[in-house]
Amino acid sequence: MVTAGQLFISGVMMGAVYALMAMGLTLIFGVLKMVNFAHGEFLMIAMYGAWALSASLSLSPYVAIIVIVPALFAFGLLVHQVVIRPAIDKPHLVVVFVTMGLSIMLQNIALFFMTADLRDVPPMFGNQSIAVGPFLMRTELVLGFAMTLVVTAVMLVLIDRTYFGKAVRATAQNREAAMLMGVNVPRIFALTFAMGSALVGLAGCALIPLHSTFPTVGLNFVLIAFVVVVLGGMGSMEGALLGGICVGLVQTFTGYYVSPALGQMFYFLVFILILIVRPAGLLGQRGAAMVGVN
Amino acid sequence: MSRIRRPLWPRAGVVSLSETVALGLCVLVAATVTDRFYIDIIISTFLWAGLALAWNIAGGYTGLLSFGHAAFFGLSAYTSTILLVDFGVSPWLGMWIGASAAAALGAFITLVCARLRGPFFTLATLATGEVVRIAALNWRGLTRGGEGLEIPPADSFINLVFFSKRPYVALVLIYLVVLFFLSKRIERSRFGYYLFATRDDEDAASTAGIDPLAMRVRAMTLSAFLTGLGGTLFAQYFLFLDPTHVISPEISFQFALICAIGGLGTAIGPVTGAFVVVPLSELLRAWLGGGAAGLHLAIYGGVLLAVILYFPQGLAGAIGRSPRRPAALVVGASGQAGAAR
Repeated sequence: MVTAGQLFISGVMMGAVYALMAMGLTLIFGVLKMVNFAHGEFLMIAMYGAWALSASLSLSPYVAIIVIVPALFAFGLLVHQVVIRPAIDKPHLVVVFVTMGLSIMLQNIALFFMTADLRDVPPMFGNQSIAVGPFLMRTELVLGFAMTLVVTAVMLVLIDRTYFGKAVRATAQNREAAMLMGVNVPRIFALTFAMGSALVGLAGCALIPLHSTFPTVGLNFVLIAFVVVVLGGMGSMEGALLGGICVGLVQTFTGYYVSPALGQMFYFLVFILILIVRPAGLLGQRGAAMVGVN
Repeated sequence: MSRIRRPLWPRAGVVSLSETVALGLCVLVAATVTDRFYIDIIISTFLWAGLALAWNIAGGYTGLLSFGHAAFFGLSAYTSTILLVDFGVSPWLGMWIGASAAAALGAFITLVCARLRGPFFTLATLATGEVVRIAALNWRGLTRGGEGLEIPPADSFINLVFFSKRPYVALVLIYLVVLFFLSKRIERSRFGYYLFATRDDEDAASTAGIDPLAMRVRAMTLSAFLTGLGGTLFAQYFLFLDPTHVISPEISFQFALICAIGGLGTAIGPVTGAFVVVPLSELLRAWLGGGAAGLHLAIYGGVLLAVILYFPQGLAGAIGRSPRRPAALVVGASGQAGAAR
């Protein structure tokens, strides 16, 4: 029972970090109706950034957030202007291939400059875990979990309560109608894309104490992020949190009781199952998958 | 039937003069080049051209943008190789069994994902590829897992293993030519028109009496089958399989990227794509490799980005007279109208 409880806690915490990673993706997916295949590479860049600040200025990755998040916001804005904007009105295939080309390019630029070596930040809390009753929690995971909760809350307020959020929701629901109502849709697209990038920057800072970075690190995580996004329903922040936690739980439980290697396979199977049973995701809008959105 | 006049530039359904000349040049090159380095590149190019044509039947003609073709490729390669290594079945027979297994998987996936469109379908195929890869990696008893599966390198016609590279050149050339003519045949067949209709406007297609799901399943089955044949050829040429390299998402992306660069939904597009991409990446690797790991792929990614942004119809669409359909990339266009819903 203690084992199961421990697995549950670890699964939820790891899942929350996955959710943090997926939030930027789901935001972009929901508003721009496009899959950003370079999302994992944005994460990789953020992780390298946090590592570089840690290695050169011995800055804690949690402090590095104040640099990395604005940097990724700016990077997202740049990518949007140069690459996404010219492609967004074309069929969805164009955007898919464009982001894929970007992904290959960024991955290999990283390989060229950083080599394939694994980069880690030194452990910050020794190997101290936080003990609650019989359960132990890694400090880094608890911090990641807390960050996810805060970000989810902030994003929900931003989307549901502010004027900007209203414009974003209007654009997500019907971009032509939003434009007719005076919403500056290209600007909303640019800001949403940049915000999505900033979120993945935050995720990179939360992840680097837990996972080393290397040029192809994004690929592992982007696949998880896709699963989380579809599981939760695209565009839904609370859905991403729920989806992330589901993935985390499936991964830790099957990893412990079946085999670590098969843990990955199980969440892909859950993913395919969800797509068959409820393609719109747990909290997504019905019918989205049937019209293909784009 | 009356004789079709051969046009000069590529057009759907007919083999044009320029394509005939290009195929003749392929045969000539295949027959004359002797340098082992260049032969390797030629084999890769022809094989990938064939594989891209196979992908194009689903991705280009039918709009089923699959990022899971490595699953079909790997499943067939593993099936025929396991049959050969463990059961002594000749790959001449095993390749059909492997391709049939791939076709069955293709049909299964398409049926399972019947309701999914656009990015959702793509992500589901990507996940399928991962499931197959992880299964191959962990089912050690059957596939030897990460250690890889080796075909004994003994020159034997029955085992489809040759010391000389010539027979392989001939095999992949036959594969390419057969797929090319098959694609051209599809383009002017009733089946092909059904596929185009399913891709361009599903509702209109079903109003006209076409069963879109049946068309999607048939297209994916055929595409997976042909991909499977290429998978076995790949296994017989490299004589070594491991899940990380054969069933990786990168391989799946390669199928789609070659078609996107060359031009989707035409027969000449995927061939053009393969003839540009494969030699380019091999030569860049040879020139820049060693000291500059990653540089050749960074350039490759940049070229891809530029081609897609500036020539969304692909290089073949940009160079030649655009074959039949000016916006060859307009796949799944039915969703376009309701883009913002």
